[in-house]
Amino acid sequence: MESVTKIKEELSARSRTATLDQLASEGRKRVRLVRAEHIAQMISEAVHSAVEQSGLLDQQEVDRLVEQSRSEFKGVLAERQQEQAAHSELTARCAEQETQLEANEEQLAALRAQCQELTESLARRQAQLTELQRELEAAEAEAQQAQADRASQSAESQSAESQSAESAAAPAEAPATGTQPAMTAELMMSMMQELATLKASMATGGGAAAAQPAAAQDFTAALDKLAGTLNDRLDSIGKKVGISAAVGGDAPVDFGGLFKDDGDESVESNMENIQVKQQSGGGIAANLAKLKKLKGGG
Amino acid sequence: MTEQEDNDTNIHQGAEVAVALGKGLDVGTANLAAAVQNNEGGITVNVERNAFLDIPSDVYSKNMLTKLKVPYVVHNGKLVVIGEAAFELANVFGRETRRPMADGLVSPNEQDALPMMKMIIQKILGEPQQPGENCYFCVPAESLDVDNNVVYHQGLFESMISKLGYTAHAINEAHAVIFSELAENDFTGIGLSFGGGMANACVAYKSIPCLSFSVARGGDWIDKNVAGVLGVPRSKAAAIKERGIDIRDPKCREEEAVAIYYRSLISYVLENIKSRFESGQNMPSFNEPIDIACAGGTSMVGGFIEVFRDEFAKIDFPIPVGRIFRSEEALTAVAKGCLVAAAIGEE
Repeated sequence: MESVTKIKEELSARSRTATLDQLASEGRKRVRLVRAEHIAQMISEAVHSAVEQSGLLDQQEVDRLVEQSRSEFKGVLAERQQEQAAHSELTARCAEQETQLEANEEQLAALRAQCQELTESLARRQAQLTELQRELEAAEAEAQQAQADRASQSAESQSAESQSAESAAAPAEAPATGTQPAMTAELMMSMMQELATLKASMATGGGAAAAQPAAAQDFTAALDKLAGTLNDRLDSIGKKVGISAAVGGDAPVDFGGLFKDDGDESVESNMENIQVKQQSGGGIAANLAKLKKLKGGG
Repeated sequence: MTEQEDNDTNIHQGAEVAVALGKGLDVGTANLAAAVQNNEGGITVNVERNAFLDIPSDVYSKNMLTKLKVPYVVHNGKLVVIGEAAFELANVFGRETRRPMADGLVSPNEQDALPMMKMIIQKILGEPQQPGENCYFCVPAESLDVDNNVVYHQGLFESMISKLGYTAHAINEAHAVIFSELAENDFTGIGLSFGGGMANACVAYKSIPCLSFSVARGGDWIDKNVAGVLGVPRSKAAAIKERGIDIRDPKCREEEAVAIYYRSLISYVLENIKSRFESGQNMPSFNEPIDIACAGGTSMVGGFIEVFRDEFAKIDFPIPVGRIFRSEEALTAVAKGCLVAAAIGEE
């Protein structure tokens, strides 16, 4: 089979193609045709005949060689076909893996974006939480201060009124002065409990947010709701204690202790002998006049 | 808060002044300035750089510093040079100065510097003329871009100034600029203080502050970045910035770097102010265009107000604005505003 194909190729390479018209124009009206298979057979017979006549190999040996060649050719052909099949299979698997990889990469990018978004959201909420806690602490300090002030005022008032009651002997007023401090203390206790509850609920909210970043949306909604409630309650507490500054959160803090000890120390220095640089500037009389005018004093 | 040294001719050395009651104190990241009224109808401002440098202590160094009139304190066995001299020495030796404040507030890294700061404040404020004299000192507003808390800072200086015998009152830094610079506008407008650690903004209507906030970038931010790109210490970068350059016309690579970061700072501050105004919370509305007054040491560089106007023109500012100007006494404007508040409080 293979020899026939080769013979055909050789014949094609060493022959020319011509149309019937061309042959006719060359004066050839009849041509003799021979099939490539017949040529191959003739060559084979000629080779066999030549080998037989040469006496180098006997017929059996020739047949054995031909058979062995065929067998080897078939083996090699089967091997190549197996390799071809394996290659095709690997190519298919590779394409499949590449598709899977692309899908995984897309999924990873989406997850990264989601993670970034959640991290940012969490950071924002934690900042809000910190701010709210700070406000709460400031309000708590104000409330405690107010409680102390009220208690002090009530004590003074009670003392004054009891003296007045003793001197004027007016028994009808005694119950009224006695209930006022009790009511204030009760009110303050209730407010402190309210603050403690709020603080506890805020702490719970913060912990949940840290533990469950995936539930950031729910946490955001809950925190917003909590912030609204907190503001309302702080406002109401401020009104109850009669100090609007409680809502502002500017609680006064005493830092006097920071400089308690350093004032009396004798520090070695030459600062006394050094003169600092001075600059002159325009006066402030006009500014003061304007300010006084604005305040209605000038 | 102030930042740069003024080079004008009205600098004196230690002139004694007779004063009316009330003192103003600018507690700046870069400079400390105390203002007081004098008997000539003007004001006198004592200025000292808020920095120090520690060097090994020995008798020779002490004598030399005293001869050169360089202020020092012996602290923890070390010789601590204080103020402007520390800045100059740091530049000579290629070292960084230590700074008691950072980003407009007391630095958490320099807590042991507070006694030094107290000595500088004591020196520039002097003794109170009578016990409990009013002293208004500036504090920054809370920042839009970083999480900071001024309660500790304010309480600390209240305590320090009270310890010196004054009655201490805090006033917002940019509000002080309005007291100093916007009298002609009935104290209505926007005051901006470009300091070493922060830029502060305040909107006021007839002297009442409606809105105050800050951004945590200032002259130090420029120094840090310029030092980074040029590979020099920050104090060296500050010296380049303060040697009288014009940011519209930089003459060399170093000045180019300063100009780039100045423009970036101004743009950043304006964008933040615009953003805050657009958020609409507590925003006042004005029928007439209002003026913007800039002050603070960082605004003293040549071409500052022109670049500010350039950058302002690029943004669509939500409030009608009239004049944009820089204080003629930019370094001392905050202290002057504090003094106005103190003086009115004494009357």
